[in-house]
Amino acid sequence: MNEDQIKRLLIEADATAAEPGFSPMTGAGIRSQLRRKRLVRVAVPTTAAAAVTVAAALAALWAASMRTGSPPPQPQRIASPEEQVRQLQMQTETTLKLVRDVLEKDWRERHLASLEAELASIPDPLKEIGRQVDKTAFILVYQADKLYKELNQTESAVRAYKEVIQLFPTNQWADVARERLSQIEQRQINQSGKGVSKCEPRNV
Amino acid sequence: MTAMAKVTEEQALVERFRRGDDSAFDRIVERHSAEVAALANRLLGWPGDVDDVVQEVFVAAWVGLKKFRGECRLRTWLFTITVNKCRSHRFRRLRRLRPVTTADVEAMESRDRSGDKAAMDQETFARVRRAVQMLPRKYREIIALRYMQGLEAEEICGLLKIRPNAMQVRLNRARKRLKEQLGDLLEEES
Repeated sequence: MNEDQIKRLLIEADATAAEPGFSPMTGAGIRSQLRRKRLVRVAVPTTAAAAVTVAAALAALWAASMRTGSPPPQPQRIASPEEQVRQLQMQTETTLKLVRDVLEKDWRERHLASLEAELASIPDPLKEIGRQVDKTAFILVYQADKLYKELNQTESAVRAYKEVIQLFPTNQWADVARERLSQIEQRQINQSGKGVSKCEPRNV
Repeated sequence: MTAMAKVTEEQALVERFRRGDDSAFDRIVERHSAEVAALANRLLGWPGDVDDVVQEVFVAAWVGLKKFRGECRLRTWLFTITVNKCRSHRFRRLRRLRPVTTADVEAMESRDRSGDKAAMDQETFARVRRAVQMLPRKYREIIALRYMQGLEAEEICGLLKIRPNAMQVRLNRARKRLKEQLGDLLEEES
């Protein structure tokens, strides 16, 4: 076993695996993502702090009203914390509304960006055909290699190589097929020189 | 385009981005996203969908590009981010999955042994990919970078921050492990 064998096996295994799927990205899309992350980072603690303050104020108010033995609260002194709670509630509602608006706007932007990305991801048909041709030629050469090297079916292998050359004359795999054919011819010439039949397959 | 011209063009793109030209980043994404996706696909065990990782890589690149000092090629720098993101992605995914048992491996192997010739080829390659996936992280990464991504030894050392000797040792050990797993395939070939 040598490095080349492993390398070839790995490359072939990689080539026959599923193509990586990913949607195209743009600077605008990334900016939008970062903005969203920043917003969540800022809005969540702010909202949480406001909610905690409101809860604490309500709890304090409730504790004060429940306290026994204390003098009855003066209307003026109660009005002040109630006013504070009202203000805090208003602030919280305003913050939440702002967060909702920003999130909605962000969602619209994201939706638009995803539609644009979807539009951009429609593959170029020419490129796709080229890729398919490349893949088909590779598979044909690979099958021919198997026929020749493993199954000793030289004639079938030669037919397959010729087919690749005929179908995809300008493809890189056609060059490989030509090289393989010349190797087979050379081997047959050598064998016929030694008195061995031309059709006899190569011994592996 | 020569390597030197490419490096100069990359530096120009980075410089344009630093000055606030966002279209330069689009150009960087356009140029490197396919390679980043291919590397992520290999490092994550060929899941096909690598959208999340590719996005994470380019978001990190957007944030970090202003600090990029140009000590290595932009491609190498993006590959370093990809390797790191794939490590965390794989770790997160592994936490959610149950571990592979011996019974699973036996079931996979019995599937490998069945089917017709064409399906067998596909199964053979699937088996090779599984063998790579089952390697420990440091071996899997080096196999993916060296043989599948086709990076030079020097570039891999820079990317993984290891010495050439260590890289060679890892590569030899990874090959040895693959030989143990796929010995019958390699014998067939020879």
